[in-house]
Amino acid sequence: MKMQLAILGMMLLPTVALAAPDFAGSWLRDNAKSDPAPNTMYWMTRGATTMGGGRGNAQVILNIQQDAKALQVDDAQSAPRNYILDGKPHSRPTDTGIQKAEVTANLQTDALIIETTQPFGGMPGNATLTVKEVWSLSPDGKTLTVTATRDLPARQQTYKQVYIRTQPASAVLCSAGCVPAPK
Amino acid sequence: MAKNISRRKFFGGAVAGGLAAATPSTIVAQTPAPRRVGLPDVWGQDFLYQWSPPENVKRDLTPGPGVIRLSNSQDITNKEGTDYDAMFKGMRAAGWTACEAASAAWLSRKLPDSEVSEIKAQLKAHDVVFYNIHCAGNIIAPDPQGQQWQRHIIDAVHAAEQMDLRMILTHTGSMYPNRNTAHPLNWSRQAWERSVNALKNICKSTAGSKIKVAIEPVNTEAINNPWAMKRLREDVGDERIMCGLDITNMVYAGTAFRMSELLNTTFELLEGMIAYIHAKDYVWDGMLPGLDWAMNGTGNMDYELFLAHISRIKDPIMYVEFLSTPEEYQQAQRNIRAIASKIGVKIHGTQA
Repeated sequence: MKMQLAILGMMLLPTVALAAPDFAGSWLRDNAKSDPAPNTMYWMTRGATTMGGGRGNAQVILNIQQDAKALQVDDAQSAPRNYILDGKPHSRPTDTGIQKAEVTANLQTDALIIETTQPFGGMPGNATLTVKEVWSLSPDGKTLTVTATRDLPARQQTYKQVYIRTQPASAVLCSAGCVPAPK
Repeated sequence: MAKNISRRKFFGGAVAGGLAAATPSTIVAQTPAPRRVGLPDVWGQDFLYQWSPPENVKRDLTPGPGVIRLSNSQDITNKEGTDYDAMFKGMRAAGWTACEAASAAWLSRKLPDSEVSEIKAQLKAHDVVFYNIHCAGNIIAPDPQGQQWQRHIIDAVHAAEQMDLRMILTHTGSMYPNRNTAHPLNWSRQAWERSVNALKNICKSTAGSKIKVAIEPVNTEAINNPWAMKRLREDVGDERIMCGLDITNMVYAGTAFRMSELLNTTFELLEGMIAYIHAKDYVWDGMLPGLDWAMNGTGNMDYELFLAHISRIKDPIMYVEFLSTPEEYQQAQRNIRAIASKIGVKIHGTQA
């Protein structure tokens, strides 16, 4: 009986692996269903407003490429973000280029969990910010929901971004040598 | 063969080589060129402003022995009928262990001796330090306002003595009546001399007092950098002249991204003359070199290094200000305490 269960388990493993969500494609943010994006760059005080940071109701399109080992996210407003999907911490420069962020991306069967720890504004001596993003797909694969929790000693913020798939994968990411995707 | 050489290279080379021949050129070369204040060059100084930090800036995060007391701008009041027990108890409960008063309100009422004793007793009972009268006004304003404000500072010194405070705080001010408006001549010899003379008058009128007269360097005024602060004290010639250090008030485009260096330079230059410190943070968030205040620990201020330097000062007090709501003050305090804890700097008291 135990042997049968083990064999059954081994048979299911590839199925589980294959069931990991595939985010590849183009995604348009659904502003009506998304929380207002906070200003992730600055935390202004005294009611000051700023031209940087928050995106308000602007059109946001994510272009995502993904393979079994890596995921790349491009949008018009940010530098490309590359994630290695091995569940291990990886160091990379902050946007300022003068501090380090530690990023862990863990692709699970039902979600992608990305955790980033960095100095808040990427400047020396900043308070430590931890961001946990949970990426999940709707059952039909047409809706992407990203729930981000930003933890700073001063406060915790959680906000949700909802995206609608507009195109399937436009290109294949070849993190381990390029093997063309089946048509 | 004649060779073209720039004046800078010539003078630099002459000084470096220690030339001593008595030619007219070398006599000039032996005279040190006037050094401009500011941070050192990084790269491309002949065609670029030096606004990016160099690599490998020294950041000594070794904590000092000082335990920092936090104060905030929700100033104490001496309104008639104030329950001082409740007031200081509330401060402590919120994590604030020091306080300062705003001069206009504090001086507006003469306190009876019994009330002075009550305030001192309640401060002691709740382990809160009342250390400063934060003065409004403009001591170099066109007269007669300038003279009136000097009188206000002198009155504040006497009020501070009554309460056993360590200091009063003021600015040197502006050539306009409103000290917060930059006048084009605020950095002229005239403004400098007016600043020095105003402070000499204040010191003379309060001779014998132990109350420190702390000056807050501010961009819009003559005293807008640590070098000027140090020189001011020398020119006034009184050791009671101290610095009420608000680093953000000295930041301009040239230092906005070089705070680690500005912190190191400032604390080194002003060693022994920093009366207390303002805690603000800022970002450069616009197209013009416009700086705006940001939540403490989230902006360009190197807050780890800042706290490490402060902890090396005797009996350090840090004043949190320029926030909008009680919640923001609590958020700022949480960030400050977390950053301090990360590098081993001690903050007095606890935050609920």
